[in-house]
Amino acid sequence: MTRSDASSPAPPLVFDQVSYWYGDLVAVNAISATVQPGITGLLGPNGAGKTTLLQLAAGLLAPASGTVAVYGEAPALNPAIYRHVALVPAREALPGALTPRQFVEARATLLGLADVRGATAAALALVNLEREASRPIEGFSKGMRQRTKLAAALVHAPTLLLLDEPFNGLDPRQRMQLLALLEARAADGTAVLLSSHILEEIEPVASTMLVMVAGRLAASGDYRTLRRLMTDRPHTLRIRSSDDRRLGARLLSEPDVVAVELTTEGMLVQTTDFTQLAHRLAPVAQASAVTVLAVQPTDESLEHVFAYLVGDEGRP
Amino acid sequence: MNVRVPVSRGVPRWGASARVLIRLAWVRTMSPLVLLGTTGLLLLPLLFAVLFAAQGSLSGDPVDFLVRRYDQLVGALATPVLALLLGTSAFSAEREDGTLVYLITTPTPRWWIVTVRLLWAGGLAGALSSLTVWGAGAIAAHGSNPEGVTSAYTVAVFFGGVAYAALFTVLGLRSRRPLVTGLLYVLFWEGALSGTFQALNFLSVRQWMLAVTLPLTTARAERLEGVPSAPFALVAAGVLLLAAIRLGARALDRLPAERSGS
Repeated sequence: MTRSDASSPAPPLVFDQVSYWYGDLVAVNAISATVQPGITGLLGPNGAGKTTLLQLAAGLLAPASGTVAVYGEAPALNPAIYRHVALVPAREALPGALTPRQFVEARATLLGLADVRGATAAALALVNLEREASRPIEGFSKGMRQRTKLAAALVHAPTLLLLDEPFNGLDPRQRMQLLALLEARAADGTAVLLSSHILEEIEPVASTMLVMVAGRLAASGDYRTLRRLMTDRPHTLRIRSSDDRRLGARLLSEPDVVAVELTTEGMLVQTTDFTQLAHRLAPVAQASAVTVLAVQPTDESLEHVFAYLVGDEGRP
Repeated sequence: MNVRVPVSRGVPRWGASARVLIRLAWVRTMSPLVLLGTTGLLLLPLLFAVLFAAQGSLSGDPVDFLVRRYDQLVGALATPVLALLLGTSAFSAEREDGTLVYLITTPTPRWWIVTVRLLWAGGLAGALSSLTVWGAGAIAAHGSNPEGVTSAYTVAVFFGGVAYAALFTVLGLRSRRPLVTGLLYVLFWEGALSGTFQALNFLSVRQWMLAVTLPLTTARAERLEGVPSAPFALVAAGVLLLAAIRLGARALDRLPAERSGS
């Protein structure tokens, strides 16, 4: 077996028809993707299989079928890969009695670093935790815990960094700092696989996206392509007004309105251009002498967006 | 943000990694329950010894008293329960809250992680058991060591503490309810079954512990009839230790996956 080597010509991470299931539940279903240096966003609603995919990449799980390769090697049962790979898990738990310095030093020692203190100091500086480095973790906020986890992951300068929902609990300023940090690592050649269920979180930094829905890879590629796929789909709005029937009849004459359905809780209006309808609704209502009481998107949840991508148009 | 992390990758550092693993185990294990249980188990034999010593010459033969207390209170209760508390705690907190991932996502070999934690739990359980044996002997026999009984049991319970801890450390990694399973094992296998069926003595840590006392003391040797020989006990405990390390390392390779989140 060859040694894991970040300088190897093999890509940092390759999934080839990878599947994994818990009992009868298929968590990851025949996923093929390659993660190159730079930032790759792993996007999907809760329960999509992102955590399982990251655990497969980190070697904590072995695929039921297919192969995972980290620099050309199978990561499962291969602790040598952790010289180059780090995982930041989603769970917040950390040993509360330790300080961040003690915790990161412990990781640095277990990682076999020669200069434990130097590496720890540098990692804590990277995440701006120097001032809190000697305080017990148990009193930390979510954001500070997240930064402690990041310092522990970055202490050995991994070339493949796997982050599971790293923005959870961070305030906007901390998010910006983390994004800047990840961009800097990516610029240095680190491959970053970053999971999130919020597109806007990772859109600014991820050059490539993998979108997972129900264990499947629903889409992949450049984020602009995915954004277009997400916005060009039909939208459904629930509109309540003083006279739904009259307003609905007028809206049907609008070019982007596909269908109108009257219900007991207002009318459902389906449109191919959400922005255009939003601009036209007020003038149309005014022209019809109808008062609009409420406008509510019915399918704006991420699950609906991702579910749309599972359709033929969204497939990679 | 522009600070560069020094990339300095070395080989596994055995001593330093052992210290880290023990330190993490210590801060995660010393819960109020463990401290309370440990203190109670340690004080019980000492309390009996104090009562025995307080009655002076009316108490009877100190050797007979010590052998019975060592067998019943230490060998059958304090040592296995201490080992159960410490052995199952060696990984349980980290396993429950998911922080075990920070140990196993390192190049430190998993067999080494298990070995260190197992020896930490066993050493602590053994040392505390030995301490209570020595203390009870010193009190009841007024500082003497009649027929070598105190020294023999001091060695035997240390040996038993390590063997029990090996068993319970693996149980902590492989069972969902290690405390309950371990207690059932102590009560039924070590207590009821091995006391009833002599053939099971060869598979009983308690009997191995008694076997270790055989060459070290002449006290009440007839009590020890039917137990395995000391060499058998040492070999059996060695096999148990190696099997525990192997099974524990395999358990770390196949931890139940975290399914929370996504």
